[in-house]
Amino acid sequence: MPDDAKVAEIADSLHRYERAVLPLLEKHSSVSDLVKASGLQEIEVLRGLNWLQNKGLAKITEVTEELINLGGNGRKYASSQLPETRFLDAIKEQPLSLSEIKRKTSLTDEETSASIGALMRLRAIESAIVQEGKGFKATEAGKKLAAEGTPAQRLLSRKFPIPEKNLTPDEKAVVEELRKRKDVIRQDVVKNKSATITDLGRQIARKSISAEKIIDRLTPEMLLTGSWKKAKLRPYDLSTAAPRAFFGKLQPYREFLEEVRDKFVGLGFEEMTGPIIESEFWNMDALFMPQFHSARDIHDVYYIKEPKHATDLPKELVKKVKAAHENGFGTGSKGWQYEFSEEKTARLIMRSQTTACSARKMASKDLKIPGKYFAIGRCFRYDVIDAKHLADFNQVEGIIIEESLNLRHLIGLLKLFAKEFCQTDKVKVVPSYFPFTEPSASLYAKHPALGWMELAGAGIFRPEMVKPLIGRHVPVLAWGIGIDRIAMFKLGMDDIRNLFSHDLNFLRNAKVV
Amino acid sequence: MPTISFSHKDFQKLLGRKMPIEEFSELLLLYAKAELKPGNTPDDLTVELDDTNQPYIWSVEGLARLLRGITSKKEAAPLRLQAGNYSIEVDESVKNVRPCIAAFVAKGVKLDDYLLKQLIQMQEKFDTGYGRRRQKVSIGLYSYKRISFPIRYTAVKPDSVKFIPLGFEKELNLKQILEQHPKGQEYGWILKNSQDYPLLLDSNGQILSFPPIINSNFTGRLEVGDSELLFEATGHDDESLNLAASIFAQNLQDRGFAIHSVIIKHKSKTTKTPSVERKLVKITPQAVEAVTGLKLKSSEISSLLQKMGYQARGETAIIPTYRADIMHPVDVIEDVAIAYGFDRISEEPLRSYTVGKKDRAFELINPTRKLIAGLGFQEIFSHILTDKKSVTEKSVELQNFMSETHSAVRNSLLPQLLDVFAKNKHSDYPQKIFEEGLVASREATKLAEWRSIALASAHSKADFTEMKQYLSALLGSIGLQLEVKPAEHTMFIKGRVGSILVNKQHLGFIGEVKPEILEKHGIEMPVAAAELNLSLLP
Repeated sequence: MPDDAKVAEIADSLHRYERAVLPLLEKHSSVSDLVKASGLQEIEVLRGLNWLQNKGLAKITEVTEELINLGGNGRKYASSQLPETRFLDAIKEQPLSLSEIKRKTSLTDEETSASIGALMRLRAIESAIVQEGKGFKATEAGKKLAAEGTPAQRLLSRKFPIPEKNLTPDEKAVVEELRKRKDVIRQDVVKNKSATITDLGRQIARKSISAEKIIDRLTPEMLLTGSWKKAKLRPYDLSTAAPRAFFGKLQPYREFLEEVRDKFVGLGFEEMTGPIIESEFWNMDALFMPQFHSARDIHDVYYIKEPKHATDLPKELVKKVKAAHENGFGTGSKGWQYEFSEEKTARLIMRSQTTACSARKMASKDLKIPGKYFAIGRCFRYDVIDAKHLADFNQVEGIIIEESLNLRHLIGLLKLFAKEFCQTDKVKVVPSYFPFTEPSASLYAKHPALGWMELAGAGIFRPEMVKPLIGRHVPVLAWGIGIDRIAMFKLGMDDIRNLFSHDLNFLRNAKVV
Repeated sequence: MPTISFSHKDFQKLLGRKMPIEEFSELLLLYAKAELKPGNTPDDLTVELDDTNQPYIWSVEGLARLLRGITSKKEAAPLRLQAGNYSIEVDESVKNVRPCIAAFVAKGVKLDDYLLKQLIQMQEKFDTGYGRRRQKVSIGLYSYKRISFPIRYTAVKPDSVKFIPLGFEKELNLKQILEQHPKGQEYGWILKNSQDYPLLLDSNGQILSFPPIINSNFTGRLEVGDSELLFEATGHDDESLNLAASIFAQNLQDRGFAIHSVIIKHKSKTTKTPSVERKLVKITPQAVEAVTGLKLKSSEISSLLQKMGYQARGETAIIPTYRADIMHPVDVIEDVAIAYGFDRISEEPLRSYTVGKKDRAFELINPTRKLIAGLGFQEIFSHILTDKKSVTEKSVELQNFMSETHSAVRNSLLPQLLDVFAKNKHSDYPQKIFEEGLVASREATKLAEWRSIALASAHSKADFTEMKQYLSALLGSIGLQLEVKPAEHTMFIKGRVGSILVNKQHLGFIGEVKPEILEKHGIEMPVAAAELNLSLLP
């Protein structure tokens, strides 16, 4: 048993609910009695009891109880009587034909036949001959029942819910009978809590808990009147679990992309955009990807069902691009040497690479030279979706356009990316292949946690691509960064599909920094 | 990307020296745009090649030749052709079907099982990759001893000729081959517009093959122990076929075969294949510096080009016959840089300062997203492709989709938000969520794309008033006044849905979601929602 000081300390820490409930536990145990005696809400009593139990002052026990309750029809029959009661009522004075009974009681056919069955079982009616032919009349037992009420009607008139254990055997039989009817009886299982006081609780309760001088909550009135000076603020149980708070949060992957956007703006890049429903012209032909290239296959790109063709292609530019494909367009190249299809170039597809944005920017009137541009855009590929592949994903890429840029600048740029996105200067730049760049390079960077990874692909746009779009040759460095692996690492994911997760618990619990 | 397998021992034999796996792997990355994959046994190597335009290194012979050049100072030996009395007569009838053919005869090395497999791998990679699934180029290999020259290349009616195709026991006519033989079923599409089908016969009238489908079971079979073989390639342009012949001839010459050219006799012209004519490209130090930033002397450029298999004379590069990927001098300059070594090229910083700028749309989008989060909404980020069943008829559908879940472009964000509610019934309520993103729709043949923003709230007391409160607060914070006019919408309860108006312009809808829609999604809480077109905001 704790000493007096400890007991006093516990007494002082009691919440208003606990102080109200604890003394009552000497006389009452059920929650409903405690609610009545304390004048508190049920939830308040329950919380008080829980806290008292945590402090070792009370012990809560839980008893489950089966309750008989009325269903929708049950409530209806309780107030406007059971069909058989109405049936019996109609014939208690004189026998009537069935049609006469129905008219008088306005029972449905179904209710009528149920009534006849029930009353026959009670031997309350028997068939009789009336003027119109066959009918029913009440027996002596029936007349008695009409006066006293049938057992079922008497049961319905009681106050519900009734604990099942309080029913007499006869009543139980009536309940079983009523259960067969639709929605008359409902059975509920409730958990009843009751509590007993512990020795320590009794000791504290008998110390006469002084309710007046201990206050729970500082109120504006107390501050206004200064009454707080005479009172003591109850110390809290700081270990009590607080209910969870929900607040609005930005989606973590989208926020990651925003950081990338900010990073490029910080590095002096201007954002470019373009439509996601794109023509093959901007998505491929303007990039000098030949129309027979395997990445343009029906198994690599999504084609739009309707409409099939773009109607807003720049006619003059299409001619120049066509010439570049067919014969090099005077760039010193022999071109791809095939017949370029103007029908195919207008075909609408889902954008498969953000390089389409670069092509649009290079052909636009507001292109700045020197200029740096980037795009973060959704791209679409005909691909099986699994932990490593998405059919609908984001690409980050861009261009730098300036007279006399060369491969050495490109390598410098790639090393900068390794530092910015992988925090490393351990890099390998190796030759690579892209249909629209020459030379082409891939950047491998040693990520502090992921190890060597292919971070970016880059190159200098081919002259056959640049000249039709800009009108002359200017060096254009182009690059694309594989950002999703870094995003997944940052967000602690090993399945790429989770970048677009619809799991609210995951999103609500996602770490922000 | 092509992937090839070969023996490490064989590679070293072709290279002429030992090369440990680690060094090989490093050199592949630096000089061949290729990556070594883990093989099955220590001697069995698998290499993935990045460059889909350089079929000359899609073989162990090609890779060995490239790395031999890189690591030695000797100029590579060009293709040497022996004369021979071999010819193919091309009939006029192939003109509209498959007009071109190239061929050579190789003699002198006995095929073992490994070498035969290498030849077949080379043929397959070329046919499917560069040959565009045999449409552009289709290659046939034959045992020389069973063929008597001259060969005739002709086109015949599909049911006029019968022979036993490779792997079969009974004779089929050409039409039956397309229907019954697995290769016929796989490649028959190439001939779908042809009246007549191509056929190769020898001087005894024996059928060699039915290009580009299948060889004959008798003459069209190359076997272990053969030491003389015939190569032929058919297609639509002499240049691609000559490239195929050159690559194969060079590879076989590297293995010790003697290559004999074949004369191709058309009615109007006669040519000899493989052609040994080599193209010239002028490469100046200035051009190299402009692209690579490397200040190199002409002689340095020459020796770098030699490493890559070119012959160099002054400022002129002679392109090897087995290369057709050189379209522009810049392609040769890349080879100079590769031979120099990307790892030895020092970086140079950018010189110009430019001003960074976000797309203007984000000046509105990002503050709006933050405001909505501030109202207690969790942001959702979804795919743009969705199930075509969840969009209305004005949506943009895909012609070739892999799965129904990605078969159309979304034209509203609300269905995806309802999907979030449906999937999170066991997560705590209230659930308040929002998304901003691209949507698209189609009006007849006219397409439209815009940025949309949608908010949805699900909890026991979610209603119109709550949503209107949020929307007014949101629009108020960006200086706009919300006005709501009664409207109708398939998704919302009649009488509890309004059109969102700002400056009299209709921007979207706000309302309580119909219970039948909630029921369909299995959502057990009332839902109030709003969606508006952000691109229309003033």
